[in-house]
Amino acid sequence: MAKLKKKNTNKPDDKLVSIFESIRIAVSAIWANRLRSALTLFGVIIGVTSVITIISAIEALMGSFEDQINKLGPATFVITKFGIITSEEEFFKALKRKDLSLEDKRALEKGCPDCEEIAARAFRRSKVKRGNKGLRRVLTAGATHNLIEIVDFEVGEGRSFTAEEYDRNSRVVFIGPTIVEEVFEGQDPIGKTMKVQGRKFTVIGVAKERGSFLGNNQDNFIMIPLSTYSKIFGRPRRNLDILVKSSTVEGIDETQDQARSILRARRGVKYNDEDDFAILTADNILSFFNNITRAARIALIGISSISIVVGGIVIMNIMMVSVTERTREIGIRKSIGARRKNIMVQFLFEALILSLGGGIIGTALGIAIAAILGSQISLPVTPSLFAIVAGLSISTGVGVFFGMYPAMKASRLDPIDALSFE
Amino acid sequence: MSLIEVENLWKTYDMGHEQVNALRGVDMKIEKGEYVAIMGPSGSGKSTLMNLIGCLDTPSKGTYRLNNQAVADLNDDELARIRNKEIGFVFQTFNLLPRATALHNVELPLIYNGTSRELRRESAERAMQIVGLGDRMTHRPNELSGGQRQRVAVARALVNNPSILLADEPTGNLDTSTGMEIMGLLADLHRSGNTLIVVTHEYDIAKFADRIIFLRDGQIEKEEYKQAG
Ligand SMILES: Nc1ncnc2c1ncn2[C@@H]1O[C@H](COP(=O)(O)OP(=O)(O)OP(=O)(O)O)[C@@H](O)[C@H]1O
Ligand SMILES: [Mg+2]
Repeated sequence: MAKLKKKNTNKPDDKLVSIFESIRIAVSAIWANRLRSALTLFGVIIGVTSVITIISAIEALMGSFEDQINKLGPATFVITKFGIITSEEEFFKALKRKDLSLEDKRALEKGCPDCEEIAARAFRRSKVKRGNKGLRRVLTAGATHNLIEIVDFEVGEGRSFTAEEYDRNSRVVFIGPTIVEEVFEGQDPIGKTMKVQGRKFTVIGVAKERGSFLGNNQDNFIMIPLSTYSKIFGRPRRNLDILVKSSTVEGIDETQDQARSILRARRGVKYNDEDDFAILTADNILSFFNNITRAARIALIGISSISIVVGGIVIMNIMMVSVTERTREIGIRKSIGARRKNIMVQFLFEALILSLGGGIIGTALGIAIAAILGSQISLPVTPSLFAIVAGLSISTGVGVFFGMYPAMKASRLDPIDALSFE
Repeated sequence: MSLIEVENLWKTYDMGHEQVNALRGVDMKIEKGEYVAIMGPSGSGKSTLMNLIGCLDTPSKGTYRLNNQAVADLNDDELARIRNKEIGFVFQTFNLLPRATALHNVELPLIYNGTSRELRRESAERAMQIVGLGDRMTHRPNELSGGQRQRVAVARALVNNPSILLADEPTGNLDTSTGMEIMGLLADLHRSGNTLIVVTHEYDIAKFADRIIFLRDGQIEKEEYKQAG
């Protein structure tokens, strides 16, 4: 056998073309076909953008809802007549329950040692007016003086009402910034009077601005002592809530149990019957919310994923065109010693670089669009790690998945056929 | 033992309604260092034979031993390795990558055997010098004349220092004098030790070879040896 002298006898033959070299080849091919590459990129961008927009929006929505619920605080629970109603049946059952009353609250004050703070609250809508300036259907809360100790809202100017004012059914009102804007035309309202459902009240304080949540202005409210509220509007019935702050966060379950047995006894609930009231905490409201929205979230992401598939098909199509157009190139490479996997990796890298590029742009675009849409309903959207990871991994997956077939096809071309391709 | 041993080699193309026998039982041996020309009328199977020798294609029947290795036993990757290391192919239509520079075209075979960047550059530049294109390294194929393109193709064929140089009508797309230059270049490479097999239509070109193999209808019609001296 002829012994051949070799220049690079120590070079391992099996060594793969380096990743760097493959990337270089792919990048130059992408650059050489700029227009086609841009088209591919576009297909991916559309898909990734829509998915990431949806994901970012959902995340922001969930996060903002969570923030909202968490304002209740981790040690607080709310006792209501209705609780979370998920069916008509439940609604009618709850309708038959006895109303919660201030007597229930008093019973807790007497019998619940771990209830550090107990407040009550009722809501309605009412008309407010000063001179010829007024607002209709303003959210009006009647509250015990200690509500502010439990629920997270802050006094901006002036003060909230005192226990004495509560006891004396004083006509004092604590107002939201929107009322200052709309009714007092931005002037300092403290000490001035305004009319609530035709009754004259003195403004004692203004709440700190909270902005809006999902398009709901949270600053358009007034709060008056519950005692005064009962006198004017009648005793609050269905919608009286009792809010309890447990003395410790860890002890919240025991505090709930104490409150529960006191209320059951007072309201004459039989041993085997279920509670005729509901206890809500930030946690169980959140998990309820998560549960009811889960299906919708999955559906939204699922629907938007269709556009990813469309993007993937664009990649596949354009890669197929690319393979056909470059059949001769593939033939040349094979004729001088490129292996199947070299060709495969080359085309796969091309698909991957395009889809990853599209993924990066699409992720950024998706977050930006979600942020713009969010700002319309005052929903703060921030770039989340999850959205970024999702965007990049989806696009990588799409590139590999849809680039695989064209790359395989390219790698399996017969060198002679490929070389004689016109 | 010869470098190339071909025994009863058949190549049949199945065209559906009929079978085309491009090669019908070819037997031949080519020694290391030989210069062989293959002649024959169009359609006689010259390219088919070259493609089989160059491991670009596989025979329908018969055996081909290269360096005492039965090619039929090799898988796709091993064939690619042989094309890369043992064979340097020069085509009638040059077959250069149009968007790559001349130097990059010459480097290409080295990329596929994992040669380091520096060594690759060095070897490709040397090959470009050998074919007399030291001053055309960064030109793209469309910025080169036909003769220069074929020189680049020759440089690419020899860059890996292969056992065999195969040229299928390397002058087919060139005018006579340019064709003669390319043949002179190939003859130089043969003189420096390479085994050379050239397909040509022109007897004037074939007569430089040590031996001329005449093909007709897929069979060897006759062989002609150059007179010693
Ligand atoms: N891929 C193919 N499919 C079918 N028939 C083929 C194929 N390739 C070659 N042939 C046939 O095989 C025969 C030999 O072809 P080949 O290309 O080897 O001829 P050649 O001697 O190189 O001719 P030329 O001098 O014109 O290049 C021809 O009849 C041709 O039609
Ligand atoms: Mg031919």
